Amino acid sequence: MNRFKDSKHLQNIKHLQNIKPRVLLAMALIPLALVIAAVPENTTKPYKLTIEEVVGEITDGAQYFTADQIADLIIQKDPSIQLIDVRPKDEFETYHLPGALNIPISDLLSDEWLETLDQDVRTNVFYSNGTVQSNQAWIICTQRGFKNNYVLQGGLNYWAETILNPQRPDQTAPNDEFAKYDFRKAMNGALGGGTLEAQSTPASSAGTMPEVAKKPKKKKAAGGC
Amino acid sequence: MGPLSVNEIISSNTNFFLAFLIGIGFGFVLESSGFSSSRKLAGVFYGYDTVVLKVFFTAAITAMLGLLFFSLFGWVDLSLVYVNPTFWHSAISGGVIMGAGFIIGGFCPGTSVCGAAIGKIDALVFVGGLFLGIFIFGEGYPLWEDFYKAGFAGFPKLNEVLGISQGILALLIVLMALAMFWVGEWAEQKFPREEY
Repeated sequence: MNRFKDSKHLQNIKHLQNIKPRVLLAMALIPLALVIAAVPENTTKPYKLTIEEVVGEITDGAQYFTADQIADLIIQKDPSIQLIDVRPKDEFETYHLPGALNIPISDLLSDEWLETLDQDVRTNVFYSNGTVQSNQAWIICTQRGFKNNYVLQGGLNYWAETILNPQRPDQTAPNDEFAKYDFRKAMNGALGGGTLEAQSTPASSAGTMPEVAKKPKKKKAAGGC
Repeated sequence: MGPLSVNEIISSNTNFFLAFLIGIGFGFVLESSGFSSSRKLAGVFYGYDTVVLKVFFTAAITAMLGLLFFSLFGWVDLSLVYVNPTFWHSAISGGVIMGAGFIIGGFCPGTSVCGAAIGKIDALVFVGGLFLGIFIFGEGYPLWEDFYKAGFAGFPKLNEVLGISQGILALLIVLMALAMFWVGEWAEQKFPREEY
């Protein structure tokens, strides 16, 4: 009796071994896929932030792009970046960054700009002279549940100081400072040069491409084949 | 919790080190599965050997289900996982160039390095061509920059475009992959090669 049982068990094993790998794979993956199709998606991280989270983001500075990063993106003509100037129209016309849109804070809620602000294709970067207005714009958009919105750190004032008029560091400054200075000078040249008085020239007239000191924004895990 | 490096649980150097170890493992498995033979990859096109298709698609659907379950358990935040931007012109022309290169050369970038590592001359030539291509692309970048960046469509995901949930799409892809494996095995019987 026992021997008979054993042989049957062996037969079962043999039978299993005869199943094609494709069928075994199907037996494992289809039930798993059915489970994952049946359960709701995990939405424990909604885009709309609680007020504590907003405070946390502001203190972390997670909403900022630095001037160097933006200058780099402008020169690379990165199509995923949309600069948004939140200053009044006349200030915008006097000077603005290449490729920027003008959406004054007062117009921020108008339907005209809804498609620009509430989308998941491009990365919006707000800027103003300082960072007060741009941060206001960022908070308004974030509280409305819009994603992909960021702020230019230091605003145009800092932009003018660093990118348009880079200051040569002291002789005793660390090498990092000199690298930053060279980068900014090269940026300035590629962006058309000059100071605030000079009208901004579009990035397409860029001269020589500067050597970019890569410091990518740690936002997402990159992948590839 | 995850992704580990984005949430700064591990440093980016540790991340690279882990990638290095995984890469060695990946290369070892590719080589020991016979993928360093150019006939293996060309076989997918001619139908006599579809192992490459089966292996890579099995890896893809396993990883897909794994990520979705990890997300379900709250172990990984999928919104922090990078999705490549879509540029229509680049994607389509790049696909055609890569596909033609796979058939003509009999390698994909991964298997060519495997073949080169064991000293296969055709793989060494393939890797040489790969670097030549990179060099020409890099040096001639201003010529095709406009084309390269044309047709920007953001960071779309297939399930968002189709308007279905991630889970339903995953189920459809698993079923599609299994159907493809079935067709592949049918093709292997239909177009056998004696000399292979």
